[in-house]
Amino acid sequence: MMAWPAPLRALGHPMGGLAGGWLLLVAAAAVLAPFLTPYAYDVQDLPQAYQPASAAHWLGTDEFGRDLLTRLIYGARTSLSVSAAAIAVSVLCGMVLGAAAAWFGGWPDRAVTVAVDLTWSFPEILIALILVAIIGPGTTGVMVAIAVAYLAQFTRLTRAQIMTLKGETFVEAARCLGAGTGHILFRHLLPNALAPVLVSAMLATGDAIILEATLGFFGLGAQPPVPSWGGMMSAGSALVFKAPWVIIFPGLAVAITVVAINLYGDALIAELDIRQKLRRTA
Amino acid sequence: MIAYLVRRILMLVPVFLAVSVVIFSILHFIPGDPIDNLLKIGSSPEARAEMEVRYGLDRPLPVQYGIWLSNVLRGDLGTAIVARRPVADLIAQALPHSLALGGLALLFSTVAGVGLGVIAALNRDRWPDRAIMGGVLLGSTMPSFWLGLILMLVFSVWLGWLPVSGARSWTALVLPVLTIGLGGTALVARITRVSMIEASGRDFVTLLHAKGLSPLRIQLGHVLRHALIPVVTILALRIGWILGGAVTVEVVFARPGLGTLLIKSLSQHDYPVVQACLLMLAMAVMLGTLLGDILQAVMDPRVRAALA
Amino acid sequence: MTFPFRKTLLSASVSLAALMVAQAAAAQEAVFVMATNEVGAPTYNPIKATMLNTATGLIFDRLVSQAADLSYRPWLAESWEEAPDGMSWTFRLKQGVTYHNGEPFNAAAVKAWIELFKAAQGENAYMAEAIASVEVVDDHTVRFVMSRPEPNLLYNLSSTFMGVVEPKSYVALGDNYGVTEVYGTGAFRLDSFTIGQETILLRNEDYVWGPAEAANHGPAKVARLTFREIPEDSTAFLELKTGGVDFLLSVPADLIGEVEKEPNLAILTLPGQELWYMPINVTKAPFDDIRLREAAAKAINQDEILAAVFGGAGAVADTFLISALPESHVAESARIAYDPARANALLDEAGWTMGPDGVRLKDGQPLKVSLWTQSDSIFRRLTEVVQAQLKAVGIEAEITTFDSSMIRDQYKTGEQQLAVRSYNWDNADIVDWFFGGDRLGYPNVSMFNDPKAEELRTAAMTGAKNSDERVANFTAYHEYVLTQFPMAPIYQPLQVMAYNADRLAMPPAIDAPAFGAAAFLDLEVKE
Repeated sequence: MMAWPAPLRALGHPMGGLAGGWLLLVAAAAVLAPFLTPYAYDVQDLPQAYQPASAAHWLGTDEFGRDLLTRLIYGARTSLSVSAAAIAVSVLCGMVLGAAAAWFGGWPDRAVTVAVDLTWSFPEILIALILVAIIGPGTTGVMVAIAVAYLAQFTRLTRAQIMTLKGETFVEAARCLGAGTGHILFRHLLPNALAPVLVSAMLATGDAIILEATLGFFGLGAQPPVPSWGGMMSAGSALVFKAPWVIIFPGLAVAITVVAINLYGDALIAELDIRQKLRRTA
Repeated sequence: MIAYLVRRILMLVPVFLAVSVVIFSILHFIPGDPIDNLLKIGSSPEARAEMEVRYGLDRPLPVQYGIWLSNVLRGDLGTAIVARRPVADLIAQALPHSLALGGLALLFSTVAGVGLGVIAALNRDRWPDRAIMGGVLLGSTMPSFWLGLILMLVFSVWLGWLPVSGARSWTALVLPVLTIGLGGTALVARITRVSMIEASGRDFVTLLHAKGLSPLRIQLGHVLRHALIPVVTILALRIGWILGGAVTVEVVFARPGLGTLLIKSLSQHDYPVVQACLLMLAMAVMLGTLLGDILQAVMDPRVRAALA
Repeated sequence: MTFPFRKTLLSASVSLAALMVAQAAAAQEAVFVMATNEVGAPTYNPIKATMLNTATGLIFDRLVSQAADLSYRPWLAESWEEAPDGMSWTFRLKQGVTYHNGEPFNAAAVKAWIELFKAAQGENAYMAEAIASVEVVDDHTVRFVMSRPEPNLLYNLSSTFMGVVEPKSYVALGDNYGVTEVYGTGAFRLDSFTIGQETILLRNEDYVWGPAEAANHGPAKVARLTFREIPEDSTAFLELKTGGVDFLLSVPADLIGEVEKEPNLAILTLPGQELWYMPINVTKAPFDDIRLREAAAKAINQDEILAAVFGGAGAVADTFLISALPESHVAESARIAYDPARANALLDEAGWTMGPDGVRLKDGQPLKVSLWTQSDSIFRRLTEVVQAQLKAVGIEAEITTFDSSMIRDQYKTGEQQLAVRSYNWDNADIVDWFFGGDRLGYPNVSMFNDPKAEELRTAAMTGAKNSDERVANFTAYHEYVLTQFPMAPIYQPLQVMAYNADRLAMPPAIDAPAFGAAAFLDLEVKE
């Protein structure tokens, strides 16, 4: 039983299996998009605009007569990749900062702590809005904004993990054997701190999808005609009574995907038995 | 305990200074400046320089920062450059709306969340638990602007029960409060449920059972009281999150408030207003965190023991 | 212990009284939603503002008013006379007119106002530029001495920017004028103003000097007007539909059908003053080549946009001016219309050959350009159609969306290639505003600076002795600008408004270019 890695074991949970299935489905659809749909996401067919769901267009069409399901699938590409990439950057930087703070203590630690408290003093959406205003609209700006908005979370989590691990016997043992700082950090401390950080990164990806959608609502992020779930909802908000499906489906896609991430994350936490580790730094 | 409080409050000083530096400087990285909105197009550089002197924008940034900070500490938020009026007036107009929205949303989250959490905990692992936890999870994963628009569609357009936008009557508050509150409800319900389940396993509960108290009375009278500690703490810590939600929701419902004021001023580069709004939000978050930490210290016997 | 009870009783009676007052007021009250392009006007100071909303035109009267046929009618000026050489204008002022703060309106006040207007040197100062000085002939007669003939003077005087302010309070209030307090002679006075949110106006009970086009010569029929600012059209429409507001001062074309579906709502249209266009930056390659500019301009299918984006309401644009203006009557050859064959031929000629993926190539480089737009939903929608139309001739345009108020700063960088914009103005001098060589970046988004155009521009702006000459000069200037393709005209909307017909009774006819002071005087609230 232990031979299976935890992410697969999590699929064995009833909810975890369902959620993991949905996530795999969305990911597969995003990757295979061109083979799944006969429509292009960017070709307009103006006479077909504002069509409700039909056999030809399962979820209806948008204001340019484009197939909504097609755009939803391609939108998954943008939304998931932007969120996941942003969180990946955020995790990497957060781990470096957190580990450095915990390991060196003293002023680097104090500086990192103040910086963390600093970013936590602003709601994430505000950090993101201001950063995008500086960097400019488009996916890069949004990615950086999301990465910075969640940086504090991973820094703090990594720092707390390393702090507890620092005093443990195996670290002392390694030190006594003459291991250098780098060796201890990268071979002993970070790998042990990895599981909780990765799980919380996964949960944060869910939040990042929502944040990306919210920025898309303000017209920031992927530029037309490239679809993103947020951008689709933003266009749909002006059509809310004329063609409500244009806004309803992308919103459902976000909600269901984020629910799935949370459920799968819960299953993973149970499998890895790291609830206490996460709780301490929540 | 007092020592802890003093230390905790002193820790806020460097954070406050860092926050103020960031708030002050970050706006200057955004392309464009407020003078552009005031100057005649094609104005001479002299006219521009004169305008900069008038608003104190000609001095080096650190000097501007020093002046701004000392004014803020004396309670003077300055004058809006584009809106041409005291920033304090603009804030005073907006703040009550935001406080009403945030406060009611917080109240809603607490009442609904604790209620649902208790029901879920009492029916642990049975269908009401699963239904409630599934429902609140879904509620917390919907983007707030989307939820707001959908609620608007259903309750204002299809059913015609509530006004669409604005702040002309208390009924206009219902949908925005629900929109923000539903996200918070999920959080509160989850924590309430977990804390109650945890508290049920504690020794004192076994003792109460042994004393022959009715299970419901034990749950509501004793277990819930213990379970509320983390709820209150988390809520205080999450004030910023609620305020962040309020920004988007105010825009969606075209409500006056700090969020709309902030977004509007940000796009007009009206620095003094943006700075004041950000400062207000950051202070609220810092005070929330402080409150959360203090509550935790006061109510959690383990922390209290450690501090003694 | 009686205290709490008395308090309750008191508050109950207070709220009952408030309720009764509210109901009585409701009969004479109407709620308007400001046009979306007027949202966020920061001040009611007409001298200094670059953006004024409809409510400004109700607070301030003007010397003359403009009728629907674009002729001028008496308002605060009873009559006027232009000297044969155009070097002076004499205005006879109405008697018995007072400002909201009780100050009298007379020749001295007009002189003081014009002097303030000129001294402010604001964006609008050009409107009074040709007035050298103002002479007080008698208490109710003023003479404007001109530095050059200005055939456009009456237009300027009828503009909201030349609303007659009360000079004493203007000086006394300084920067607060127009923000906290404001005094004009208009049919309504300012009660409260929350920037970006709401303006409340109250009826001027003494008002008997309305413009000639209004049927009502007394005070307005509605006692209290609330103007709300709602940035999103769909939210504003939902408010109208659900009874939250009574009147929308702008309705985008794609919502007309939705309004017509509701039995209690009605549409009101006036000829448009707005024009949508695609500026082309003439300094950025590849559009420094006039052939590419012409190709891009002729790739725009105005008819398709009119039908698909705007539901057929309004008209296509083929010049830079709205068709109501005589200066829009340029030579047929100068008009810019959809011509894909010509666009393709020009691109071929310029060496851009069609690549395998539908994007043209030259020296292995794809024909990729930027297309800027602002975040309002209608802009984004139109821009996406423009993008698809450019793609049809092999130009790949990458859209960048900027926040509506930040986009100006972006234009100032001069980095734009193509953009989608609109303006709202009903005078030919808008050509000078958007293509003047001294305003590069913004408002001259096209970065157009051409010696011949500058020559024609000077003649148009300051060289005409009378209106006919001005029309001829502006037509020539406009025509030349069109032949250089610094932009592609797209669409001319109608002014579309919507109202709740159960609540409001419209005047039978609106003899004005816009729903302004005259219409508000005649407007009635149904009991």
